Amino acid sequence: MNAPMNAPTGLAVGISERLSATGTANALELRRVSKLFGALAAIEEVDITVRPGERRAVLGSNGAGKTTLFNCITGDYPATAGTIRFFGEDITAFPPHERIRRGLRRTYQISLLFTGLSVIDNIYLACVGVSRKRFSFLRPRRDDALVASAESLVNVVHLDEARDTLVANLSYGQQRQLEIAMALAGAPRFILFDEPAAGLSPTERRDLVEILMGLPSHMGFIVIEHDMDVALRVAESVTMMHDGRIFKEGKPAEIENDPEVQALYLGGGDG
Amino acid sequence: MALVEQRVEPSERPTWFERIPASWWIVGVILLIMPTFASDFVLFQIFGWTFILGIIALSLMLLAGYGGMVSLVQMTVAGCAGYMVAIFGVSAITGISQGWPWYVSIPLALIIAVLFGTISGWLAVRTEGIYTIMITLAIASAFFYFTRQNYVIFNGFSGFNGVLPPRLFGVDWRGPIAFYYLTLFWAVVCYLVVLYLSRAPFGLALQGVRDNQRRMAALGFNVTAHRVAAYAFAALLAGMGGILLTWQSAQISPGTAGIGPAIDILVVAVIGGLRRPIGPFIGAFIYVLLKTFAIDVLVALGLGGERFQLLIGLGFLVIVLWSPDGILGLWDRWRESRGRDPLLDPRGGPMDDRTGDRRGDRRVDSR
Amino acid sequence: MRAFAERHPYWSAVILIVAAVLLWMIFALWPEWLTDLIGRKKIFLNAVFNGITLGGLYFLVASGFTLIFGLMRNVNLAHGSLYLLGGYFGYLIADWTGYWLLAFPASFILVAALGVLLQVFVFRRMEGQDLRQTLVTIGISIVMADLMLWIWGGDFYNINAPSWLNGPMQTFFVTGVKRSSGELIFLKYPMVRVVIFAASVVVGVGMWLLLNRTRIGMLIRAGVDDRDMLSATGARIQLVFVGVFAFGAGLAGMAGVVGGTFQSVAPGEDVRFLLASLVVVIVGGMGSIPGAALGALIIGLAEQIGSVYFPTYAVVLTFLIMVLVLAFRPQGLLGRG
Repeated sequence: MNAPMNAPTGLAVGISERLSATGTANALELRRVSKLFGALAAIEEVDITVRPGERRAVLGSNGAGKTTLFNCITGDYPATAGTIRFFGEDITAFPPHERIRRGLRRTYQISLLFTGLSVIDNIYLACVGVSRKRFSFLRPRRDDALVASAESLVNVVHLDEARDTLVANLSYGQQRQLEIAMALAGAPRFILFDEPAAGLSPTERRDLVEILMGLPSHMGFIVIEHDMDVALRVAESVTMMHDGRIFKEGKPAEIENDPEVQALYLGGGDG
Repeated sequence: MALVEQRVEPSERPTWFERIPASWWIVGVILLIMPTFASDFVLFQIFGWTFILGIIALSLMLLAGYGGMVSLVQMTVAGCAGYMVAIFGVSAITGISQGWPWYVSIPLALIIAVLFGTISGWLAVRTEGIYTIMITLAIASAFFYFTRQNYVIFNGFSGFNGVLPPRLFGVDWRGPIAFYYLTLFWAVVCYLVVLYLSRAPFGLALQGVRDNQRRMAALGFNVTAHRVAAYAFAALLAGMGGILLTWQSAQISPGTAGIGPAIDILVVAVIGGLRRPIGPFIGAFIYVLLKTFAIDVLVALGLGGERFQLLIGLGFLVIVLWSPDGILGLWDRWRESRGRDPLLDPRGGPMDDRTGDRRGDRRVDSR
Repeated sequence: MRAFAERHPYWSAVILIVAAVLLWMIFALWPEWLTDLIGRKKIFLNAVFNGITLGGLYFLVASGFTLIFGLMRNVNLAHGSLYLLGGYFGYLIADWTGYWLLAFPASFILVAALGVLLQVFVFRRMEGQDLRQTLVTIGISIVMADLMLWIWGGDFYNINAPSWLNGPMQTFFVTGVKRSSGELIFLKYPMVRVVIFAASVVVGVGMWLLLNRTRIGMLIRAGVDDRDMLSATGARIQLVFVGVFAFGAGLAGMAGVVGGTFQSVAPGEDVRFLLASLVVVIVGGMGSIPGAALGALIIGLAEQIGSVYFPTYAVVLTFLIMVLVLAFRPQGLLGRG
């Protein structure tokens, strides 16, 4: 693991950080991040460092704070305390769309897809969102570059036959695949997958693992999962959370065999 | 309603010409040849007014139907444009009117109206959707009271009269036939633009913001910016309607953009239907017919001609209670009951906007 | 309040300074230069007190509006019509029985009854459809306005306060010094306004107590915060809704009697008080009773001071306040973030 970066101040330092961002900065750095709802601490003093291209799994029982963690990273909830850096840039105060534009993406536990639109239209919308065309008053031509990238994304998530189907008519598994395609739109640098395997059949799970493993190597991600199989197969490193705090970190094999983890998580069962 | 076109062989794809349903062609032809058989009154008062109200209500439909923002400030924006054209152009109030030529006063009026609409939008959209109606109503009433009390710029209670369209190409554009074609032209243009826009990235993003604000932010869209931009565009439409309205009655006064008219625009849009751009025009037509002939109906019923508001109010209540999607909603339900499945309907194209059908009846909420 | 002062030290200082200046202006004897600058103290005091008492009236109307909105998410644009109806009822009762005091409870009950009917037969069917509810209230307001116009015509009715309330009362505010004897001149202010203001304060305090110290109040506050949670607790939520709507409507009706005494009952007052309610809750904060009180005070003062010192642009002052609040604190001064 990288040594945590000291928190530098000053504009000049920030600029030099950004200049060297692609080379040496961590993809994601959380320092002492807490989120309080009134008196309830959903997550507390969370320190996480993820390198570019790293594949991390965050595990923990229900209520451990995993989804809250994601919500803080994406800006859906502003963190109560702590700082978040994305490729060296301090994004703690940024609204969600600013973070997205810097290459962060996320899938949701409950799909927030546009049910009245087709698969290709959903993905196209996702591609448009991070492009300059989002205010465009003109309809896309047939040779539009964004249309082409939308088409290729349909292919990546194996949804070619369902290209023109309305989301409302997709199976649950197909909707989850679409969810992933939306997250891949616009060349992200880092993705947060929120329980991508939830509710999928074994075949669909294998398909999911294939898609995740097939992502370009520069695209790091964090996956929240209850399904240990999926999580431990796609991840290089694992972070365990419990009661809003980081409980343990390590390689998948270490975590799987750790007695404390087994007692708390595997033995106790999913909350 | 594909934004990205469906994969169909080029030879199989119907031309836009073929995709327009026959009924539309018939209506179009009738509208074009109307002056040959309709009276001046029908052309100027009924249809002219219908098209004008339709344009202003269309601006509300854009915001409410596509954007989920119910704005009561559209009539005010229209009134603002009308006032500006009177103040910067030619009117009978020579003390205030600048007398600038039409190619200066009209664009200037539209720019100011768009500015006003944008600022109103910015004030209204940064809170939850349900406040929009209150905030815009408050802004509308402030404008009304201000124009009524201010004599330096707005000439107070009397407003401006003698505001006429410029005499372009030697035509008196306020003559019944000319005015009919003028308003028809702009109504069609506005309608087509809104229809086209609904399938462009901007329109699609607007509907996305309406349905799923959180998701849109997560896709990188700046939700507030999109909403304000929608207000700006809607202000352009409303401003055009306002200028035409001022020309029609050749005058503008505080009462033109008062609270009653502001709510009337909402009534028009809701009665017609907020789902598709044709709705406002249907609603406007019904409203104009009622307003013109209701007095006779009321007198015939022995109620006295002044009870027009009661009639409108009751009619509005009936529609909202029984068909919240307006006349369009009734039409859609009738079509579905006749067995034609809108999902599998082979006709698709620029005239067939199916966004409304598929969303079901849940999305008329402001959010 | 201490938390506010801690978090916003500059604003707190500003508010304290403004408050101090105002208090001095109200209680102290004015020096010559001040009178030359802005006119006589008597006019100033009258404007301020008229503003405060008008604020009391606005609070009565707006609190019902904000309560209905806060709990049921129903933007009741017929609220002004309920106010006017209460005014007409109050006039009828006061005229018929000769008892002014009777008009208040009578109006309250009658308009509250209408509120019960509306909630049970109309709004209950549209739970969750916020826009549709609002549209219905618009339709109702149009119908009510025309019906009232039909029945009572366009005349201005004035509800006469009883003789023991008429006339001025001596206050302890100094307006000047008698040149001849050096005696202090005290302000005489209409008693009826003072009494009504006192009554508004009592109503306001009563509401606060109800919301913060009773079980029903707790249910209502919980519902304002999170309506779904409230229904999940199994509370008889529909009964609460009916009660709140009826109470809010009754308040508006009672306010109509107040307005009819202060000013008049006439067509157009419904729109005026609806708009006033809107501005008050926009400024003060939605769903907040203290917010309605603060907003009412600010708007009442702004209107009166504006109409005395800048008559042509009084409406601009009110509008400016509203725009400033919307621009910098869109949820209202005391609204939830």
